[in-house]
Amino acid sequence: MITYDDDIVCAPRAGTLYDVLELILDRGMVIDVFVRVSLVGIEILKVDARIVVASVDTYLRFAEACNRLDLEHDVRSKTVPELFGGPVAATIGRAGARRTARSLTDKVRGLLTPEEETEEQEPLPRAGREERGRSPQRPRSRPAGRPRAEDDRPRPRTRRRPETEE
Amino acid sequence: MTVTAAITTTAATATALDALYVYGITPAGVRTPRAQGVNGAPVRLLTESGLCAAVSAAPVRLLPRRRDLSAHQAVLDELAAQGPVLPMRFAVLSPEAGVLRSELRSDAAHWTKQLDRVRGCVEMNVKGAVVPGYFAELVRRDENLRALARRTRRRPDYEANVRLGEALARSVRREARHAAQEVLTHLAPLAVRTVQGPVDDEQVLSTSFLVRSADEPRFRQALDDRAREVGDRLALSVTGPLPCYSFVDPRPAPAGR
Repeated sequence: MITYDDDIVCAPRAGTLYDVLELILDRGMVIDVFVRVSLVGIEILKVDARIVVASVDTYLRFAEACNRLDLEHDVRSKTVPELFGGPVAATIGRAGARRTARSLTDKVRGLLTPEEETEEQEPLPRAGREERGRSPQRPRSRPAGRPRAEDDRPRPRTRRRPETEE
Repeated sequence: MTVTAAITTTAATATALDALYVYGITPAGVRTPRAQGVNGAPVRLLTESGLCAAVSAAPVRLLPRRRDLSAHQAVLDELAAQGPVLPMRFAVLSPEAGVLRSELRSDAAHWTKQLDRVRGCVEMNVKGAVVPGYFAELVRRDENLRALARRTRRRPDYEANVRLGEALARSVRREARHAAQEVLTHLAPLAVRTVQGPVDDEQVLSTSFLVRSADEPRFRQALDDRAREVGDRLALSVTGPLPCYSFVDPRPAPAGR
């Protein structure tokens, strides 16, 4: 569980291979007499990099967190970030230290297949199937009169993708 | 959505036996990188017209595997440590050594000029992400948000919660974007050139700075200062020094991809 404290780590985090991926893949020279090999999976990577946080799920988590603030006195509740999970948790709390859009990182991890999988012939399409398999369509909206108790129920904070699928 | 389309994209093409994987171009006289190349192949140098190309035997299949991306990066790091280098994009092949040599020969002036443009410089890539936790501070400061929060609490239905959450998400994003602008304003004067990268709702800053090696400590210090200044709104991360991926021009009218 991420705890929120005022001792925010502000120092810029050192980058990793993930941070430099877009540079290696999209920048640098391509010379016309040379050939750039077409790479399976790069397109997936780019799509995932653009997954937006602006989903109803995120909004509800913001609202949930906000509803626990003491609006009249101390709004800097210590319990606030515990309400967040998924992409939001990736950036909350120790600002910077734990950054990196989790959506992107996870996807990149899946894409840059672990060493033991790299000898497989089609690691990337396989990853794609998995992704679809564990993301059953969730309804985008819920009935307005839904009881609060249900919203407050702890639920797994795994990242869900349906909101980004048009 | 696009995932399905991506899967059907052509697989990595099988390559001819004498094809070469090209890492980058340097002035002649550099040491051969000791790092293993893509697919574990040894790296060698082709020298022509005062220029060097770092190459290795092209793998039969090429995938964006972690170790191959790292290998590409490691070879270029070694070259960059010795002087200017023009990094190729990942997965660029030359059909055979002759083609590469004649390319170096016929455009030697172009490459030399490009090398001069990045000589003594490194690339620093700075990214900034929204800090969602800042919403609490915004609610404390912003009377409108507080009023919205109070209304929502009185009538906590689904729609109201979505509206409140959306307003909060928008506000933290806006604050992060302002902070990103602030960071750019402070860092840009320390760089020779800057190039913007893609940004989205969460990653609101992604900029590469071409920095003189001598100025790198100053740049880092400025970045640290900025990170402290905006850390509650924008989480900064920095990658570098890097080979100057973002500051090389592909040839005029390149084939693209």
